[in-house]
Amino acid sequence: MEEILDNYIRFLVSLTPGHFIRLFWFYIFFEFTRYFVIEFIILNLAKLSRYLNRNKYDKAKAEFLFEYPLISILVPGKNEGKHLHKLVNSLKEQTYQNIEIIVVDDGSDDDTPIIGRSLEKAGKIDLFLRNEVRGGKASAANLAYRYAKGKYIVHLDADCSYDRDAIEQIILPFYLDDNIGGVGGNVMVRNYKESLATTLQAIEYYDTISIGRRVTSYLGWYRIISGAFGAFRKDLLDNIKGWDIGPGLDGDITVKIRKLGYKIYFADQAVCLTSAPKNFKILAKQRLRWDKSIIRFRIRKHRDVLSPNKHFKFSSFLSFVENITFSVILNIKWYIYAADMLINYPSSILNIFITNILLYTFTNFLKYILYSLYRNRSHTKMYEFLIYIPCMVFYFGFYLRVVRTIAHFQEFVFKKSYEDPWNPIKTSTHAKEMGL
Amino acid sequence: MEQIENNIEQQNNIITFKGITFYVIEHLDSLNINETINYHAVLINGKDELFIRQIVKRIRSHKNPNIYLKPVFLLKGVNIIDPLINQLIDGTLFSLDQIPFIKKEVEKILTKNEEIQFTRQISFEAQMIVKIITYMYSREMSTLTPIPYYNSDVNYTYPPLSVNFGHTEEYAIFSIFEQAEYDGIFTSEFVDRIYLCSQCSNGRMSYREVCPKCNSSNSKTDDIIHHFPCGYVGPMNDFTNEIDDELDCPKCNKRLRHIGVDYDKPSVIHECLNCSHRFQDYFVKAKCLSCHHDNSVEQLKSKVIRKYKLTQKGIYAAVNGFVTTSKDIEEIVGTVKYDTFKTMLKYEIERLKQTEGSSNICAIHINNPNEIYSVIGSEAQKGMLKDLVRIIRSNIRSADVITFQNSSTIVLSMYEIPKKSATRILAEIIVILERLLKTAFKGVEIQFEINVVQLDYKISHELHLHNLTKDFT
Repeated sequence: MEEILDNYIRFLVSLTPGHFIRLFWFYIFFEFTRYFVIEFIILNLAKLSRYLNRNKYDKAKAEFLFEYPLISILVPGKNEGKHLHKLVNSLKEQTYQNIEIIVVDDGSDDDTPIIGRSLEKAGKIDLFLRNEVRGGKASAANLAYRYAKGKYIVHLDADCSYDRDAIEQIILPFYLDDNIGGVGGNVMVRNYKESLATTLQAIEYYDTISIGRRVTSYLGWYRIISGAFGAFRKDLLDNIKGWDIGPGLDGDITVKIRKLGYKIYFADQAVCLTSAPKNFKILAKQRLRWDKSIIRFRIRKHRDVLSPNKHFKFSSFLSFVENITFSVILNIKWYIYAADMLINYPSSILNIFITNILLYTFTNFLKYILYSLYRNRSHTKMYEFLIYIPCMVFYFGFYLRVVRTIAHFQEFVFKKSYEDPWNPIKTSTHAKEMGL
Repeated sequence: MEQIENNIEQQNNIITFKGITFYVIEHLDSLNINETINYHAVLINGKDELFIRQIVKRIRSHKNPNIYLKPVFLLKGVNIIDPLINQLIDGTLFSLDQIPFIKKEVEKILTKNEEIQFTRQISFEAQMIVKIITYMYSREMSTLTPIPYYNSDVNYTYPPLSVNFGHTEEYAIFSIFEQAEYDGIFTSEFVDRIYLCSQCSNGRMSYREVCPKCNSSNSKTDDIIHHFPCGYVGPMNDFTNEIDDELDCPKCNKRLRHIGVDYDKPSVIHECLNCSHRFQDYFVKAKCLSCHHDNSVEQLKSKVIRKYKLTQKGIYAAVNGFVTTSKDIEEIVGTVKYDTFKTMLKYEIERLKQTEGSSNICAIHINNPNEIYSVIGSEAQKGMLKDLVRIIRSNIRSADVITFQNSSTIVLSMYEIPKKSATRILAEIIVILERLLKTAFKGVEIQFEINVVQLDYKISHELHLHNLTKDFT
């Protein structure tokens, strides 16, 4: 141990700036620059913009409350009955009350039909629809949307709960700009104390996802309206006739709205709490699904976004490029970096590894502390998450990276997303045939 | 007098055969049902079911046992399908020549009727119970089985009891049976469950599937189609076109080919044509045909229809023509319910486990209730029981409680005094009671039996009560 430490100190002392750049180019040019420097600058610009446009927000709110449109809240799902009562109560607490709640039971085999019907009968749900045969999430969402009467559609997950003003906050952006076609809510982890897996996810949602979405939203690149909490203009859904088959239907519909020429906005103040996967095994399944869908939708189904045709839109193009670059290419580059180090600096590999860990951890601490100035809402006291920050380098750098690599490989080579039990085979077969 | 056949003689509407007289009823005009009391049996001569039903009901619902237990036969043997009539008559004749064949049956019923002593009952429930059990005893019926009946407002009829009630009161039969079963006259067995209007307890209802929003039953139903390739889901109407009968997907324009392969129908949806509300589950409403109240099915009153078997106690009560029900005694001021008394007794026994002391329970039993109650009226019976309680109450301490085990046995507590003292107090009470009742009810001799049991914490309260009254006749 002492030897390793001596060796490491000697390594650090011998590092010249040029040497440092050569050994840690991946961190310096990609991770630190993209995920901290640029992000931080844009975050400030977004905050400044928000401040300068504060009158516009007030005006939009007044206009929204004056019009007081009906908002249809769609809750599609299978075996979600146990969550419905809590969800409905959370919705009844909303500051905005001109809402209709439509719940679709996608072939549940538990007590969901009984619970749903009783809530409908008690007037707590406006419409409860049940498909005896499971058709998948998209078909359930589409059935709910088909009978929605509202001007705006809000898509929810049944196991989530919402801040009292969440519905108001997610609809408000539509009154800021007529060109906004969809708005994503700010999803946070409710069960962050349940396990290490949920705590790390809470930090991920807290820092990377939430802050990242504020940045991409400001740039006009925001790419996935979360299925747990997203709002859409009904007329646009009428135009694209609802959701296509998933998995990854959230990202897919976001792209489809972009293709129609509309903007996507992230409403950071529309807060939704969700239950994150409680262990790393379940989390891996979820992330495999998400990462596969990036290949399926970005690189296959909607690759035309990258082509200069008549529907070409620069912001959509950049959104795609950014997503593909940082999700797919960067992932490959990391392996190139790892190979570079292994081949060219095999004797220093341990020192390089330790330095990388320290650099990433330093960045994570820096981000966590600095970004806390930009958060509107917090789960808990800052120091509670602070002690878990050193774990994030392993969570992001190894666990999620490995999962992502497997997902990309499975999807590129085997098109595995079409076999995902998340969707019934009957629909996946057709989606695969049609290249959807 | 006309001789019909050997030994059968007819004069006006009276037929006589070997000493048995039949009163023949042929029309309702100037019919005085009380006249039947003078004859052994009744013959109803008619073909009209309504007419026959009216006559049968007037006889069987009469309050006089000499009329309601009368043997009744139908003449001319028309095919009667009304189950109420069939259950309440004793037989059918095709001609008067057949009278000799029913003689034995008439004699058997009359003999049974003679075995029955009749006593005035206190409560209405007790009167009705006596009517049923005496009829059952007279006709040697051990079980009273409910019959589904189109003329019944509760859908089932128990002829000997139901005949006493008009349409709007028929549901009262349930409380009478419950009372009789509670008092040990009948045991019962489940037959069916019925649902009655929450407002008027009528069982005749029109059930409809209605819109959950506006209660209209005017609606249309459409299949929901799920198109697999594009995930579109909507009602069948979305998929139809104006050119042909084919179905085309409104989202991807593909033609639907094969159910189960490229599309399926996972559910249906109903649309209310009155208020345009869409829904999947109808509300079921039951409109009462009597009071027109539109009940939701959850509001309907559920009643179990049972068949009732006469117990030994029931048979004994039938022969004595006397029934006491807990209804008779529950309203008497100054007493507690028997169950409450038992609970208090249980606590007293528990208390005695912790403390040394002597507590007692006592019983006063009227030895000859049949004799008394057959002489005095039902109101007087109630008055007598009230007097008994008043006198006992004024001779015991206020902490002690009185209850009725039945209308002839009074049980009371005498806690925290020696048994000797309790026996002496009880004897003094009896002297006062006898003196008072002799004055109040002249010509009625009431015989009392008494017993005192000292509480022993080693035995249960049930056993105490059993020991207290087991020797009463």
